[in-house]
Amino acid sequence: MRFSDLIRVSIRQLVRHRRRYWGVMLAIALGTAGFITIITMGRDLKQNFNRDLELLGRATLVKVYFERLPAYFHQNFTSATVQALRKMQGVRDASLAVCTYMAQSSNNGVAHNFSLFGVDNAFWDVCGFTTQDGRLTSLADNDLRQRVVVLGPELAQTLFGRKDVVGKKLEIQQDIYTVVGVLKNVGLGDLSHFAFMPFTTAQDRILRISPANRIYLRTLTWDDVDKVAPLIPQVIQSVQYAPGLKVEVAWDQVKRVKAVAFWVQLFIYSSIVATLILGGVGIWTVMMAAVRTRTREIGLKKAMGAEDQAIMAQFLAEAVCLSFTASLAGSFVGLLTVEVTSHLISSHPPQGLFLFCVILGLVVAVGLGVAAGLYPSLQASRMEVVSAIRYE
Amino acid sequence: MNELYPHPRINGPIIQVTRLSKHYSNGHGVIPVLRGVNLEIHPGEMVAVMGPSGSGKSTLLFILGLLLPASSGNYQFLGQDVLNLSRTDQADFRRRRVGFVFQNCDLFENSTVYENLEFPLVYAQVERHERPARIVAALERVNLAHRLRHPANRLSGGERQRVAVARALVNQPQVILADEPTGQLDRQNGHMIMENFKQIMAQGDTSLVIVTHDTQVAECCHRTFSLEDGVLYES
Repeated sequence: MRFSDLIRVSIRQLVRHRRRYWGVMLAIALGTAGFITIITMGRDLKQNFNRDLELLGRATLVKVYFERLPAYFHQNFTSATVQALRKMQGVRDASLAVCTYMAQSSNNGVAHNFSLFGVDNAFWDVCGFTTQDGRLTSLADNDLRQRVVVLGPELAQTLFGRKDVVGKKLEIQQDIYTVVGVLKNVGLGDLSHFAFMPFTTAQDRILRISPANRIYLRTLTWDDVDKVAPLIPQVIQSVQYAPGLKVEVAWDQVKRVKAVAFWVQLFIYSSIVATLILGGVGIWTVMMAAVRTRTREIGLKKAMGAEDQAIMAQFLAEAVCLSFTASLAGSFVGLLTVEVTSHLISSHPPQGLFLFCVILGLVVAVGLGVAAGLYPSLQASRMEVVSAIRYE
Repeated sequence: MNELYPHPRINGPIIQVTRLSKHYSNGHGVIPVLRGVNLEIHPGEMVAVMGPSGSGKSTLLFILGLLLPASSGNYQFLGQDVLNLSRTDQADFRRRRVGFVFQNCDLFENSTVYENLEFPLVYAQVERHERPARIVAALERVNLAHRLRHPANRLSGGERQRVAVARALVNQPQVILADEPTGQLDRQNGHMIMENFKQIMAQGDTSLVIVTHDTQVAECCHRTFSLEDGVLYES
């Protein structure tokens, strides 16, 4: 039997008995689509998942500072150091900050002490902070050394007795600042009682502000933390002299996030594998049923001179065509899902990875078709002609 | 003339069976079905085999088509011993030498008439462009060329059996083995099938072995045999 005839006859059988095969095709298509989507979008989804997880745990936030000993009080990081850290593989961004725990303000004649951070514009993204009201400090604020301040919600409450304070004036060490934003109180912790102003403004105007001795660094995913953290001292020391350097990582949180991610991934992959196995079992069952219902047909074909191999090849080809077609449909669904997901999370997964997944999906589907169709095909090919012809 | 597998011009019989026996074992003993059957069939000859149910008529037909192995004896087809062929060679023999027509008009239900007739050609690896002409020619021999693209499951009983005959003819075999081909047809359709067979045999290349209960069918044949208790007698 020629290959072209084999494929033509198999496809004809599938089309004519399509109602019988819908369920199996759906299972394989969904499995393939899920596989393509998860693998193609995996890293981008992880990065987004990672950003959201920050609100709960800050697992990928690394703090770099100098040991709090008198010998290191005047140590500071340079902007070249921050640039070097930003270029590290697996680092999303880094931010340089100055700090004082003794800022003073006078509001309506009442004095308050609070802590204050001078931050660059990268700080907000690195720490994952957003505002509930107003805006964050910007690059322009830093460049122009604007006297603007963003307040933690608890500090706003303490200073003004309420939280909608955008546009209010606040006196800090005898300078007047405009409140431009109030932070959202999610994941802030103690920083809820802090004030934040542009890095350059703080350096210029705040007395007893610390040197630029702390860097906040965000990795792309939790998997990058243990690759990046050990390299940080090396990178910093390649740029500047840095005795007493400390790198602080929330290892417990990293571990927990990884554990959660592992179980989620395991669940997703298990679901895909289970779907594909169900598809395989479906093919096996459908093909066994087909062999039984087409017993007379098999006998008749053998009486016409079909060899055992031709009968086997036909049923095997039908199983493979079934799984291949389903996988092709799944690839199309996967493409749509990847496009939609990419649009939703504003990412651009590599085309090569998508193509690799499609090819792998098709190869797996063909393997599934062969594995699931082999036994029914063997059964069909081994049938005795007379028993098959006389089968009722 | 057979274009697909040229028939050798021979003077002797196409089929020569001597002392052919077949028995089944059922665990308690041996049940004989055919006992020392002798049969010769010549080119263009129509032979009927009659006998009561269970007498072994179909078994004889299946052995002649190499669908069943014989227990002992000798079976020569065009002078060649075919009882000891391998499974692959048996399939090749069925493709090249014989065409089957069964009682139940076994057509492939979800296929058209064309597709039903195409299968034997597919297995014989006939070029695709040659197939339509062969199929139409076979259908013309049973006067059903106008049903070429008709779905098999929408044909009448008589038409279905004629399509089955055409399918048996499409590979231009040397022998047609028919197992009660008119058994489920009314008299008129049965008569039409036999007329088709007569016309085909009249062309001289093909022989027919027909198993039947119907004496009128047997009367259409050149020779009639009776099978009783596994022994074949010429009537």
